[in-house]
Amino acid sequence: MSEQKHSWGMAIDLDRCTGCQACVAACHSENNLSVSDAESAAKGRAVHWIRVDRYYEGEFPDVRVKYRPVLCQQCDEAPCEPVCPVYATYHNDEGLNVQVYNRCVGTRYCGNNCPYSVRFFNWFDPVWAEPLPLQHNPDVSIREGGVMEKCTFCIQRINRAKDEARTDGRALKDGDVQTACVQSCPAEAMVFGDLNDPESRVSQMAKSGRATQLLGELGTKPKVFYLERAK
Amino acid sequence: MSLYLTGSFSDKETAAQAIKQLKASGYGPDELAVFSDEPVEFKRGVLDRRSHMSFVVVSGAVAFFLMVVGFVYYTQHDYPLVTGGMPIFSFWPTGVVFYEITMLGAVLTTTGWFIWESGLLRRDKSVPVPSIKPEVICLRVRCTAEQFGAATDLLEKAGAQNVAKLEKAA
Amino acid sequence: MLPPTIPFQQVRGDLWRPLAGFSKRYSLILALLSAVALWGLIAWGYQIRVGIGVAGIRRPVFWGFYLVDFVFWIGISHAGTLISAILRLTDADWRKPVTRAAEAITTFALMIGGLFPLIHLGRVWLFYWLFPYPNSRLLWPNFRSPLMWDVTAISTYLTGSLIFLYLPMIPDVAQLAEHAKGWRLRLYKLMALGWTGSDREWHALERAMKLMAGIILAVAVSVHSVVAWDFAMAIAPMWHSTIFAPYFVVGAIFSGLAGLIVALNIIRKTMHLEAYLTPHHFGNLAKLLLLMSLLWLYFTFAEHLTVWYGNEPKEMNVFGARVRGRFSPEFWGMVIVNFVIPFILLGIRKLRSITTATIASVGILIGMWLERYLIIIPTLSLPRLAAASGRYSPSWVEISITVATFAAMAALYMVFSKLFPIVSVWEFEPHEEEQE
Repeated sequence: MSEQKHSWGMAIDLDRCTGCQACVAACHSENNLSVSDAESAAKGRAVHWIRVDRYYEGEFPDVRVKYRPVLCQQCDEAPCEPVCPVYATYHNDEGLNVQVYNRCVGTRYCGNNCPYSVRFFNWFDPVWAEPLPLQHNPDVSIREGGVMEKCTFCIQRINRAKDEARTDGRALKDGDVQTACVQSCPAEAMVFGDLNDPESRVSQMAKSGRATQLLGELGTKPKVFYLERAK
Repeated sequence: MSLYLTGSFSDKETAAQAIKQLKASGYGPDELAVFSDEPVEFKRGVLDRRSHMSFVVVSGAVAFFLMVVGFVYYTQHDYPLVTGGMPIFSFWPTGVVFYEITMLGAVLTTTGWFIWESGLLRRDKSVPVPSIKPEVICLRVRCTAEQFGAATDLLEKAGAQNVAKLEKAA
Repeated sequence: MLPPTIPFQQVRGDLWRPLAGFSKRYSLILALLSAVALWGLIAWGYQIRVGIGVAGIRRPVFWGFYLVDFVFWIGISHAGTLISAILRLTDADWRKPVTRAAEAITTFALMIGGLFPLIHLGRVWLFYWLFPYPNSRLLWPNFRSPLMWDVTAISTYLTGSLIFLYLPMIPDVAQLAEHAKGWRLRLYKLMALGWTGSDREWHALERAMKLMAGIILAVAVSVHSVVAWDFAMAIAPMWHSTIFAPYFVVGAIFSGLAGLIVALNIIRKTMHLEAYLTPHHFGNLAKLLLLMSLLWLYFTFAEHLTVWYGNEPKEMNVFGARVRGRFSPEFWGMVIVNFVIPFILLGIRKLRSITTATIASVGILIGMWLERYLIIIPTLSLPRLAAASGRYSPSWVEISITVATFAAMAALYMVFSKLFPIVSVWEFEPHEEEQE
């Protein structure tokens, strides 16, 4: 049976997001992210493939806080891709911006060119205090010092879902693949799926009147859609 | 059998005169050589040497350009690169690389041709060379034994000092 | 007005004297410089061993001191290009005593600058992956990346500069070989390639130098444009500007000239070459420096006016930080040392002298280093998404390596001037007919 190519995308409903950061914690545990101590975090060395940006509006007592989870937008016209001198980051045929850890020599040009600041660098070989190494996900490689990393849309989960579907002899259904952040959101504000499938939830949400794109005017063609009520 | 004769001049006009007279006597540019510790510029027609350097350098640069474009084109198609939508070979983004390698070609060709055209490294060691003295222009003439006397006279009349047969340095 | 005709024996004596023997002062200073350079190497080794995190760089300021130093040293390398190439092409005779010193600066600055792309790599032991070599892992570098442009540009420029420095040394080295002994004799004879001083050799050399001057000029312009495009090709606010390439080339010639003036003044004093590096030379260099200062001001003003008038929010964020905010001391300091002080010291005829030109040049070197800092750090500190902003401060590793490069440059120069005459002997010898 012929499978149409997938184009993975995500929709995040900002009107549901409570800023609880469960997605951040889930991403940490799923993807073996390094843990920073207070000193290195203060130095700007903390790694959060998905982070929740907080924006405050208004003056006290009418202060409003807006939360926006920001992760790699897997841009179709990614500015980080042409500038890597060793092809460590490129676009695969499912629309993902792939980072090849083994190939990266650490020039960090991609990090400078990402307008979303979603790329993170391993300044040292990561060290986890016991018993955290016991919690590591065996499906995800540990990145050594000197290598760039970022959100992969949990490519290990995508691959596993595709394998299982192939074994079962069926096509992937919408909802078969859930990234860690999407899976853990208690407000069910995040949806992940195939943008090439017009029936998928993410496609419906992307077509919603509330759908926006972050820094879309730069022409990066991001694949994360933020739904927010226009004022 | 060739003999080598030298005469010294203190200024280039006198040397140019001597060269003109020698050429009138039938000596060609291959038999004459001027040695000095700084470049001596004669007027046009006195002792011109043909140079192909500009042509060679431009050709070298063009050759390197074709080489590097071919190299990049061929290797980018040969290696199974995943460019993710970017064209396999794109001229303008790689244009800088082409330019630099072209210029490198020009540099290397200039150097190589300089070494060739100057005659360095392939100098016939059996030919004697006068030692260069500052502020002295030394003219060396290659002649046969029969011409030796006439050449010596010519040089002395032209105002050369220390006209003598040049022996190979030990 | 050219220097009065100096008898050739004195020329030889004066220009060859520094090559003989080692004074106590020379040995002491060289030892000190080598120690500082060695300390930088140790710091780099430490960084490779422990991890690049020992440097102060962090997200979002992924590039810090190392890139500032890189651009700075490649900029200094334009000294030789300006003096040697441009002045050679325009047949400006006053350049003759100055060319070798300038070309030496170029070559050494390039060697040092070319180290920084290695120093700033996260996994420097894999640097060779940037070269296109056949391999069985189906890997190839990405020639589209400005960093690959850097690799080819700097390799070409370094090769060209080395040759441009070496070729006119051949006649001098041949002369030195006649009076040398021991290992020096072997070195000079090897380098002389059997030079005999025949007219054929001279013509070939002059033709080659004229061609090389044109080629090296074309390469130098492209090299600093390519370095500029490392930044301009990125879409970061206040980087993505078309002015970067010419701006950097102008800035490079500016800083290179300043470096040259400082070096020449030191050479003049320590090697007693006052008769060869005269106020006439410094006067011309000072006027050139003033011109470059005005040109630099023009480019800086054009860039900032355009950004300010356009009022694009992300760019204004960076602009404000530079001109009014946390980087304003560095910014205005830069303007003062790059323009105000040179304008006063070099523009007012009464004040223009070798000493003031040197003072202005030292200021300009600091100012141009600051300019590179102000291009890189503010933009990276204030990315498009404000939540990712950061502050950068260098660590001892970066500072050590930066200082070490200055020491290494001085040390290389000292060694060079001991081996070869820093003023080109064959180009210098003045003649009656050259005096107008």
